Amino acid sequence: MAGARDVKRRIKSVENTRQITRTMELVATSKLKRATDRVSSARPYAEALADTVKSLYAPELAERYPLLRQPERSRRAAVLLLTANRGLAGGFNTNLIKEARRVLQELRSQGIETELHVVGRKGIAFFRFRREPMETMRTDVGDNPTPEDAESIVSPLRRKFEEGGLDAVYLISSQFRSAMSAPPGSRRILPVPVPEQTTPADGFILSPSGPVILERLLAPFVRNQVFTALVENMAAEQGARRTAMKNATDNAGDILEILTRSYNRARQGQITQEIAEIVGGAAALE
Amino acid sequence: MATLRVRVVNSEELVFEGEASSVVAPGCDGMVGILPSHAPMITLLGMGKLSVDRASGGAEEYDVVGGVLKVDKNQVTILTEEYSGIDLAPVGNPLV
Repeated sequence: MAGARDVKRRIKSVENTRQITRTMELVATSKLKRATDRVSSARPYAEALADTVKSLYAPELAERYPLLRQPERSRRAAVLLLTANRGLAGGFNTNLIKEARRVLQELRSQGIETELHVVGRKGIAFFRFRREPMETMRTDVGDNPTPEDAESIVSPLRRKFEEGGLDAVYLISSQFRSAMSAPPGSRRILPVPVPEQTTPADGFILSPSGPVILERLLAPFVRNQVFTALVENMAAEQGARRTAMKNATDNAGDILEILTRSYNRARQGQITQEIAEIVGGAAALE
Repeated sequence: MATLRVRVVNSEELVFEGEASSVVAPGCDGMVGILPSHAPMITLLGMGKLSVDRASGGAEEYDVVGGVLKVDKNQVTILTEEYSGIDLAPVGNPLV
């Protein structure tokens, strides 16, 4: 009897776990839906802004505007890592942290001083555990990142870059391609990368003037990259959590099946034994 | 009659997209009116009311603070930081 009762208890516990993972999966699915909507509704602005910057960019402006300054030698670079505040999302946070460490390693091997800025509890916990100093730590970005969040994250870096305290800023976040594919990636947000191809705004009326418009658009352009990254990261996190929780739910189902089988076997064994005892007892009386 | 294809976007969403007969926007140095066949133009926006007269009748109005407007081949794209209904004071808009 003891065997069957133990199995019964394990079945109960696995059922409870499955209930929890299934709920988390459902929650992640609904959050993912909202997050992907935000990703796609943020796209037109990003595209139009990039387009305008592209048409106004001219190489000779690089010397005039601090945000376009391309330092000959990098001495100090900032790495901005975006992670989640919560775990249970499969390899989501680990992959981002791994990417951040790779970038840090690479910069250091080139003799560049680095400083680390981390958004999200999970990244902070990791680097705190490793005793790596972090310049800034932020945990206040919620499920719905706003452009103001992005601005408050990036503006100190932008200011430091303008003043010459930094020569480059790298952003590490998940690139949201679909709910199933959101690989971690890194890109340089400062200095503003030179557009691969410029489409000069020939024949355009520019008011007040090309360079002035460009100058006004650079800060929003940098901020928008961080904003887009925050929004995509959130979608990627929900996608990763949904996948992880779906796998957990499926695994719980598999375990339940095995446990149910061994429970039935134990029960059957017990019944067989009882019958054998009764038959044996009856036989002894004859 | 030719019409303008207008898109108004802010960093979070597409605010308006549609056909319009004219657009009046607060340019950085005065109001700018745009009719179909306008010459290509990129201009910074100041603060004020943006109104889009729909081709089908009726008008849309938005309060904008900063941003940029682009006209090219009857396609008008307005990138704005904020639009009606948002309190701008605490944000410290970098475009203003």
